[in-house]
Amino acid sequence: MELKLYVDRMSQPSRAILIFCKANGIEFEEVKILLAKRQHHSPEFAEVNPMKQVPAIVHGDFKLFESHAILIYLASAFPGVADHWYPADVRKRAKIHSVLDWHHSNLRRGAVGYIFNDSIAIALGLPLNPKAAAEGEKLLSASLAMIESYWLEGHGPFLLGNSEPSIADLSLVCEIMQLEVADENDRDRILGPHKRILKWIEDTKNATSPYFEEIHSIMSPVKEKLKELKVQASQQSA
Amino acid sequence: MELKLYVDRLSQPSRAILIFCKANGIEFEEVKILIGKMQHRSPEFAEINPMKQLPAIVHGDFKLFESHAILIYLASAFSGVADHWYPTDIYKRAKVHSVLDWHHSNLRRGSVGYLFNTRIALAFGLPLDPKAAAEGEKLLSASLATIESYWLEKDEPFLLGNSQPSIADLALVCEIMQLEVADEEDRDRILGPHKRIMKWIDDTKNATAPYFDEIHSMLPLAKEKLKELKVQASKQ
Repeated sequence: MELKLYVDRMSQPSRAILIFCKANGIEFEEVKILLAKRQHHSPEFAEVNPMKQVPAIVHGDFKLFESHAILIYLASAFPGVADHWYPADVRKRAKIHSVLDWHHSNLRRGAVGYIFNDSIAIALGLPLNPKAAAEGEKLLSASLAMIESYWLEGHGPFLLGNSEPSIADLSLVCEIMQLEVADENDRDRILGPHKRILKWIEDTKNATSPYFEEIHSIMSPVKEKLKELKVQASQQSA
Repeated sequence: MELKLYVDRLSQPSRAILIFCKANGIEFEEVKILIGKMQHRSPEFAEINPMKQLPAIVHGDFKLFESHAILIYLASAFSGVADHWYPTDIYKRAKVHSVLDWHHSNLRRGSVGYLFNTRIALAFGLPLDPKAAAEGEKLLSASLATIESYWLEKDEPFLLGNSQPSIADLALVCEIMQLEVADEEDRDRILGPHKRIMKWIDDTKNATAPYFDEIHSMLPLAKEKLKELKVQASKQ
């Protein structure tokens, strides 16, 4: 049964799914839906996902969107996937659900609020919004602090004290990696104080090497492009 | 093994969990944590949930928060729960996950944004924010439209074209029930156009009778209280 991933490597949850599949030897066809070219608004893609968002998958004739649902489905549908990604134990699984749920309104909301309004809006032809960016940064920083003080507590290097990564680690780390498109000074200001987070990102990268770096190799060129666009935009308003 | 639910019936996800347990004959102790009295900020409750939010559960020595995680856990841990609440079929289950995920940033975000900034902020001594309320209402209305056009199918009563309710129906319907604390005119303006939604709320209520009404019975009183606070605030 054919698996197609409709993704944009600029989308944090898209990257989580790509890395998950590669790290688990799941074969797929990557169908690039480029947000900057508004391809997510095409009528063809609306047939795949009427919410017009990436990522989305089609497996045989089964369509699915929302990255957490997709990660859980892939972990369950493919027999080769090791238990630590999405444990069968009902209690361990419940803890993974709880951090994935927390993510929506905390890390994701803060990170998107900050990075979109500080940088990415420009790539979509929209104005930057410093006030919304500041609000986003506040929530982002609070979320990073909560990850350090609560979610990363325990014996192991990964979320929930686990000794091996779960789908939650991939999901949240890919979100934080989006900061790579921001200005270095801003990234250092926000992320620099959080040494435990930096170590966790490193551990997640090593656990899914070389796919993590390969999937994230897009970040540098995107950052340069956004810098250019920002310069152009300020020249126009000057 | 003892199950304790730390809940406030004013909290939409708290209600979903209470109704789920009652409808499935799951025994529990209801520990009321009253948000209006800031009890969620007590050091004792922080031991239960360091996020200081409701609902949270303790089952034996197992602590858990986030209502979707709780609903899934309860459906999985208690053997008497019928399959339609959280199907074992991985395709059906994946669809339940997708609507629960969608809920966070759409229906919930819109509804909370609207109601907090038109009413509920007052219960915390915070000012109302008409601009944020308008943004919330816009997202709320868009979410209701998406539920009608996509998540609810024409021929079956429940989300995802299901003939029986899942945990997703409970979670989303309890969210929409929060509009009961708003002014009737506002509620009618927002909900009135959505006949399919109103039918779905009714079907969900009937599928979990009499618990749905029992758990929601405190909303009219909460509405009156919030109305009073608004009148007082405008006098000041």
